[in-house]
Amino acid sequence: MARKLTYIFFISIGVSILVGLFIPHEHVHFWWEKIPAFDAIFGFLGCIVIVLGAKALGHHGIQKDEDYYD
Amino acid sequence: MIDIAPPAFIFILGAILLPLLRERRLRQVFQLLIPLIAFIDLLYMPKGTYWVYNFLGYDLILGRVDKLSMCFGYVFVIVAFVGMVYALHVREVGQHTAAFLYIGSALGVTFAGDIFTLYVFWEIMAVSSVFLIWYQRDKAALDAGFRYIMVHIFGGCALLAGIIIHVSNTGSTNFGFIEYGGLASQLILLGFIINAAVPPFHAWLSDAYPEATVTGSVFLTAFTTKSAVYVLLRTFPGVEILVWLGAIMAVYGVAYAVLENDIRRLLAYHIISQVGYMVAGVGLGTEMSMNGSTAHAFCHILYKALLFMGAGAVIYVTGRRKLTDLQGRNLYKKMPITLSLYMIGGFSISAVPLFNGFISKTMVIAASAELERPVIYLLLHLASIGTFLHTGLKLPYGIWFGRVPEGEKVEEEEIEAKEPPLNMLIAMGMASFLCILTGVYPEILYNLLPYPVHFHPYTLNHVVGMTQLLLLTGAAFWLYIDKLGGEPKISVDTDWFYRKPGVLLLWFVSNPMQDLRLRLQSFFTRMVTNVASLSKNPILLPEITVRYFHLKIMNRLYQASGTYKDKADELKGLESRIAAAKEMRYDENVYRRPIGLGVLIAIIFLLVYGLIYFIRLR
Repeated sequence: MARKLTYIFFISIGVSILVGLFIPHEHVHFWWEKIPAFDAIFGFLGCIVIVLGAKALGHHGIQKDEDYYD
Repeated sequence: MIDIAPPAFIFILGAILLPLLRERRLRQVFQLLIPLIAFIDLLYMPKGTYWVYNFLGYDLILGRVDKLSMCFGYVFVIVAFVGMVYALHVREVGQHTAAFLYIGSALGVTFAGDIFTLYVFWEIMAVSSVFLIWYQRDKAALDAGFRYIMVHIFGGCALLAGIIIHVSNTGSTNFGFIEYGGLASQLILLGFIINAAVPPFHAWLSDAYPEATVTGSVFLTAFTTKSAVYVLLRTFPGVEILVWLGAIMAVYGVAYAVLENDIRRLLAYHIISQVGYMVAGVGLGTEMSMNGSTAHAFCHILYKALLFMGAGAVIYVTGRRKLTDLQGRNLYKKMPITLSLYMIGGFSISAVPLFNGFISKTMVIAASAELERPVIYLLLHLASIGTFLHTGLKLPYGIWFGRVPEGEKVEEEEIEAKEPPLNMLIAMGMASFLCILTGVYPEILYNLLPYPVHFHPYTLNHVVGMTQLLLLTGAAFWLYIDKLGGEPKISVDTDWFYRKPGVLLLWFVSNPMQDLRLRLQSFFTRMVTNVASLSKNPILLPEITVRYFHLKIMNRLYQASGTYKDKADELKGLESRIAAAKEMRYDENVYRRPIGLGVLIAIIFLLVYGLIYFIRLR
């Protein structure tokens, strides 16, 4: 079951990127919209940036023990 | 056709009548009837301005009905009904009364046509909503509620100050577009953005909402921030600073959500993030972006209520609210319906195509693209990623599935869990239905928006782009799945500034300031006692003064000459004569004078007054 879901997941990533390569862009506002599969790259890198960035901030000052305010 | 009453009054009247109903079943019917009546009232309200009352020379307008106010009015009443279904099992009448007052005042804000009416309802909204927090009845809720109300009172004061300056400058009480610039507009904007939870004035939200009652927090998510978005749309469209505040706020909420362990606090940070899109949309100021903000507020109210209902249901049945207490307990086996309904909310907020977040969020982002604002566009896109990461992936994974981090032991006994009561599930079902309905048929919502809509969400570009973004976010989530579990920590936010230095302030007030107060008080009490004892017999005042100085002088002289001890009796005698004189009461027969005492004092006053007048005149 889990293995099947993994396959479906990767196949849908592949399909979405492939379809993205072949559809014409209607209104191009920014230069990066011409990069193939930009949304996929941005989603992947953006997610990593958010996780690592926030965790780094958290571990360097923002996170305190639960009784900090008591 | 002005038939019934302003919708605000229907709810406020409901709040007054509700505690009078003793029968529980009757009360439940009444709770559902009030939002229904209000909805019918909205359907029959024509566009225009009415319910105008003159008060002290100003027009108070309770009904300014146009497309913008109607759109917010509809969704407020819908979520009121859904929230009431969700709260139907709650036996405390006070909670429902507070909720009705809160909903009523939010509708009052929505349909207010002048800023005085707006202000009054604005304050009722703050005061009534705090009870939804306090009814949780534990210390954390009590404290958070106090901080909540203090922040809102501060915001209300800023708003009132701004309104007073604005009215005295322009003479107009019209609640509409305000030119940004100058103190009045800045104060009004400050009051508004405090309610919209714009950083750095956002901490009240993530502080207080998770402490509220399970049912109360559903109402809280809907009204305060969204009515703030509404008033911003009315007054400050196109103000540049809002674009940046909104975009930063969207990312800020997402970043804090990474660190959060409390499930409702995580969702609360996502309210901040989502309201960021709306605030940015207001700031962009085009017809498309304002439509986007309105549509996003509409959708957000529905899916955020759904998410809070789902998280609330878990807290209701398990009594646990932290990811660290929930993960690895396989709750999905015990509450699959709650999980499915929650996921509809999760997909909606993440803007998955066919769910309602997709048709509204993309509108704001497209508006930023149309204006060629690259940084804003990327920030808003980044926030979308974080939204899916947390509300769509991390939170449901942590609550219903989840792995316990290695090295930690799970307690042996299983969590008692089952599906929540039927009314909760029905409420979640209704919200889910509306989320999907507006997602699949966006025209229903687009027809309500203030400006004509020329935006098509379901183009191949949008759908494929969003799908790629979300799928790859999922892939990255998979990579970091073990890093993203809850940590038993809390995050310091801007509420630190009033929670930590606040303790110092409290010490300062309760020690040095209190000491000063006591000293001043005892000084004035002594003064008053002295004056009171002297006023027993003012005629003797000169005599007592003379004797007092006599005593003092003799005292000094004897001390200086060293014969103090021998003359002690004499001094005692003098003292006792003063005391006797002080005790003597005024008796007309003893002090017979040509004129009465009252007249004498009056003449003395006149003399003094005359002298001062004479001197001043020269």
